[in-house]
Order: sequence, then C-alpha cells, then structure tokens
Amino acid sequence: MEEQDLTTRRFSREDLLKLGAAAGAAAVVGGPAAIADAARTQLVKESGRLQVLDWVGYEVKQLYGPYLKKYPGQKPKFTFMTNEANALAKLSAGLKPDVVRPYVGYVPDFAESGFFQPWDPKLIPNLKQLNPSMVKAGQYKGKQWGIPQDWGFDAILYRTDKVQPHGKSWGLLFDDRYKGKIAWFDDLNALVWAGYYLGFKKPYDQTDSELKRSQALLKSKKKNVRMFWSSETDMQNAFASGDLWVAYAWPADWVAMKAKKLKVAYMYPKEGAISWIGMLMLGKNSPRRQHAHAYANAWSSAQTGAWLENNYGYGHSNTKARPTSKDLIKALKLNTPTSITEPQAHIDRDIPRRALYARMWEEVKAS
Amino acid sequence: MRTRLATPGLLGLPLVWLVVFFLIPIGIVGAYSVDALHGPEIFAEAHNVTFAGWTHFFHSSVYLGLFWKSVKMSLIVSLVVVALAYPVAYYLALSGTKRKYVLLLILIAPFLTSYLLRVLAWKVILGNNGVLNSFLAWTGIRSADHPLSQLLYSRFAVMLVLAYVWVPFVALPIFVSLETIDRRLLEAASDLGASRLQAFLKVTLPLSLPGVIASFLFVFIPTVGEFVTPSLVGGPSGYMYGNQISDLFSTGFPDWRTGSVLALFLLGVVTLLTAAFSRFLRLGETASA
Repeated sequence: MEEQDLTTRRFSREDLLKLGAAAGAAAVVGGPAAIADAARTQLVKESGRLQVLDWVGYEVKQLYGPYLKKYPGQKPKFTFMTNEANALAKLSAGLKPDVVRPYVGYVPDFAESGFFQPWDPKLIPNLKQLNPSMVKAGQYKGKQWGIPQDWGFDAILYRTDKVQPHGKSWGLLFDDRYKGKIAWFDDLNALVWAGYYLGFKKPYDQTDSELKRSQALLKSKKKNVRMFWSSETDMQNAFASGDLWVAYAWPADWVAMKAKKLKVAYMYPKEGAISWIGMLMLGKNSPRRQHAHAYANAWSSAQTGAWLENNYGYGHSNTKARPTSKDLIKALKLNTPTSITEPQAHIDRDIPRRALYARMWEEVKAS
Repeated sequence: MRTRLATPGLLGLPLVWLVVFFLIPIGIVGAYSVDALHGPEIFAEAHNVTFAGWTHFFHSSVYLGLFWKSVKMSLIVSLVVVALAYPVAYYLALSGTKRKYVLLLILIAPFLTSYLLRVLAWKVILGNNGVLNSFLAWTGIRSADHPLSQLLYSRFAVMLVLAYVWVPFVALPIFVSLETIDRRLLEAASDLGASRLQAFLKVTLPLSLPGVIASFLFVFIPTVGEFVTPSLVGGPSGYMYGNQISDLFSTGFPDWRTGSVLALFLLGVVTLLTAAFSRFLRLGETASA
C-alpha cells in the first residue's frame, strides 16, 4: 500500500525540496547509500493520505483549502465521530487517526488517554492569528495539545410559528405542551444542562443528590421527547419535516432550517447556553506529522474561518475571520467571542466524574 | 478407519472457525464483564476480577426492565409475524398452484433490497408529513395540524417495521414444513370423516409445528437484540436492549464492563430459550417421522 502511495501520489514543490534537503544532508554524512535511505525514509514517513477523525460536515474541502494547495490531490481520509465518547471508543478499537477534534472540555481526558501528543506550535504559523484565550484553553500541563478552531453554542432551536416559550429557558426542552415534538442530544451533557435548569452551582461537578435530581427530572420528562439525536442530519430531517418543533441544537442547525425557509429562532436560555471550542488534536506516533501540522494550519487560516462562519454559523478562533452576513452575526453572536465565556455562557469543561454521568445518562435512556 | 479420519477432517475447519470467531470472542467479552480486561485505558481503575458489573446489573431495575420491554416487543412481533406468514405459506404449499415458486420468489423479493433502505422507506410513510398522515389529512379524517405523531419514533413503529422485515423470512420454514407433509395423511383424515378444519387442527398444524417454532425463533432471537431498526424509527420509547448494548460499547461513554454484562445476559437467555424450544423441534420431527 505504501509503495503504491509513493508511486501514485503527486509531489508538491515543498515535498521535493524536503527530499532534496534530506538527501543532501545524508550525502554529507553517510555517502551515496545513505542518500537513498534517507530519501526513502522521509517519503515513507509522510506517505499515505492524512487520516482525520472528525464530525460530519467538516470533511468539505473549503475548510482546509490551504492544505490541498500545499499537498495537491491528497484529500485527507475522513472517519466520523458522533461525540467524544464515540471517538474514544473508535480509538480503543484500534483506529489510528492523525487528527481528531474533541471539544475543549475533553482536552485533559484525551491528553491523558495515551492516544495523543502535543502539537509543535512552530509548525503552525497561523496560530499567531488565533484568539489567545482560546489558544490557552487548548493547553494542558504547559503543552499545546489542542489547536482551537470552531466555536459556538449548545442551545435551543424552535419553530416560532408553532411554539410559544414561557421565557427563555432550558425548560422549553421539558415543556409538556410540546410532547412528542422535542429532541434532546444523545449525550451525557443532558445531565449538565438539566443541572443548569435546576439552578445548581456546578452542574459539571454535581453532588450525588444533585445528580439524582437531574436524572429524575430527565427521566420524568423523557415522555415528551420524540428523538434522542446523535446524527445531526437525522435531527435536521425530522425538524424540517415537521416531526420536531423544539430541539437541543447547534448554530448550524439554525442556519440549515433558515435555508429551508422554516420560521425558527435560536434561543439562548437565561440559565446560560453551553458553549464550546473545537480543538484539533494530534494522534500519538502519527506517521504524517508534517501533514497533520499543515492541516491544522489550514484550518487555522482566516479563509477557513470566514467560510465556516458564513456557511455553518459557527464562530472561528482566527481573529481576522469575519462573516459577511449581519443576520448571522446578530443571531449567533459571531463577532463577540467573549459571548462563549462566563457569565454569558457556560463553556464546556472537564467533568471529573464523567463515567458516572455517562452511566446515569444511559439509565435515563434505558428507563 | 476412513470414517474415523473423515469426521475430524470435515469438522475440523468449522470447529476451528467456531472456536476462533465465537468462543474466544465470547471469552473476551466475559473477561470484560468481570473487569479482567479494560477498554480505553484512561478509564482503567484495576485489573482485579470483580463481579461488580453483574451485581449492578441484577440489582438494576433499569436494565432488567429494558430487557423485559424488549422481550415483550419481540414476542409480539414474533407472534404477529408467524400468524401473518402461516396462511401465506399454507396457500403456497397446499393450494396446488403451479406458480408457487414464482409466488415464493415474489414474497421474498424485498430481501433483494437493502435492509436499511426498507427501514428508511417506512420513515417516509410514517412521518408527520408522510404518506399515511398526508392521506389522513387529505381524506379529512385527521387535521393536517394534528397528524398521528405516534406513527414514527415510537414502539409501534419499531414493531411494525420489524414485522414487515421478517414476514417473508418466516414464511420460508413454515412453507418447507408444510410442503413435506404427506398428502395421503390428509386424504386419510378426510376418508375417516374429519372435516377440513379438523384435518387442519389434528394433522396439518401439528405436523407443521416444527416449522412454526423454527420461524418463531428465527424472528425472536434477532429481534430481541435488535438495535438498527429502533435507532432509525424508535425514538426514546422504541429504545431497546440492543441499543443499550451498542451505546455502552460505542456511541455512549465507553463502559465495556456493563456492555459485556448486558450482552452475555442476552446470549444466556437466548441460549436457554433455544435449548427449550429445540425440545419441541425434536418432538415435532419425531411426530412427522
């Protein structure tokens, strides 16, 4: 397979220069035999297509255009994750991606998992253009484990022609009036937003009795839920077809439903929306380290940021990226990165007892 | 001598296959269920053997409740499917029509299309704006603003789709068992004064029972652990035991211990049921012999 990749792939000018440099250095040190060896090692080391484990929708080439410019014809190979737990399950089962995108709260867990290594910031020139506080959020124990990219919210999408909310609250996701029209995201995070609704101080680190109350609330309101979604496409289809009126959703879902001419609003609950920052992480022992850094650099470009903002309605960490649509800016707070920080919103963070939260969420579904 | 060598020769490969791809994997799952093995290392706490997963399972009303719910759904589906498939198989096997194999082929034709496609087609039929609700709105039976929303993302949807998917498959063993019935027995029953109903109840039905039981098991065993159909059309109320196993291993936070316990419990119950029913199968075979 490697052999085939070597013969079939196209080389960029940079590849050839690197090869030349490697061969030249080897010639000085080891003579002609080593020249071939060094050149071959360098090629094998970086051969094959970049393996990316990412969320559906992030495979479109506009999001890493500069990478394709640098490595023409070498579109990365994508595998998809439905959430971070799903990504970990895939890694445990033996998948070896070069790049993975968890959200900020999972960076410590992922860093400790043994599946990742820190990035070399020197190889990502665009890092300088990224929002410094977000870059800092990607650091763990003094190293840059995550490169911040997309940011946005977990909040509530609803049909304005069908739903009259009693104020802006997470309570809309429990509302008995809309029984059978509500969708929750299939994620242990449900206990967190239930905790915010119940007014707990630290929904990410609830006490046993608080967790029980959050779980009981979710169990009692499950009867109103039509769908626990894990595929964004499924949820969007159900929403578009009128099966759903209220959904736990991301800004891109608002954009997608607007595009379908539905009357929708994206509500930021008074208890605080949940906000997040996507972090690109580098696979441990990645055989395509240069490619992975180039990919992270491409994602960090202003060009990618603007495309992401205009088309998906997510924010981007590149401070030079700005969306063109005023509607988007207003509805999704794209020009104010501070909107994802406290007290405006609750940024996704590490959950110390994540395994317990997970079990309790599974019990909600199974109940 | 030749026979003695031929038997291990013939059975050797299947046996190796069974050990490598069935018994060893089950052993691995068993090791996960007692903590002897761990999934992702970050969640590893200890590698001592513990039965905490099993204890938690048997004390949890949630998992056993979910299992019972899945058994009930699966039982209903199996019974309905057998009841629906029997008359079809009966007609094909005993009506004497020359075109029975053509009809049989038509019956199993849906199997030639993708399972996923067939399940997804039901979404188009059952959705709020789907074929059924549009028809109800068009006829004025139901207002368009208040469609029958329990048609999709519900327990009903799961059972309907499962029944639809399994009917042709179930008709086959029943058809075979009916076809092998010696017609002279029916003639004898008639000669001895039995009505057609009596002949059916006393001769045809008992002799076709092995096929019926085999069909029932064919549906019950896969559907009780089903997870694809519920995840597509089930919604929260159609969530089944198989979904929980799948979630514990993949989409949920990895909890391979609990997932393994749930999977092994299902395997145990299914094995017991099969053993119990196979007695009936053998009895039936003896009867037909």
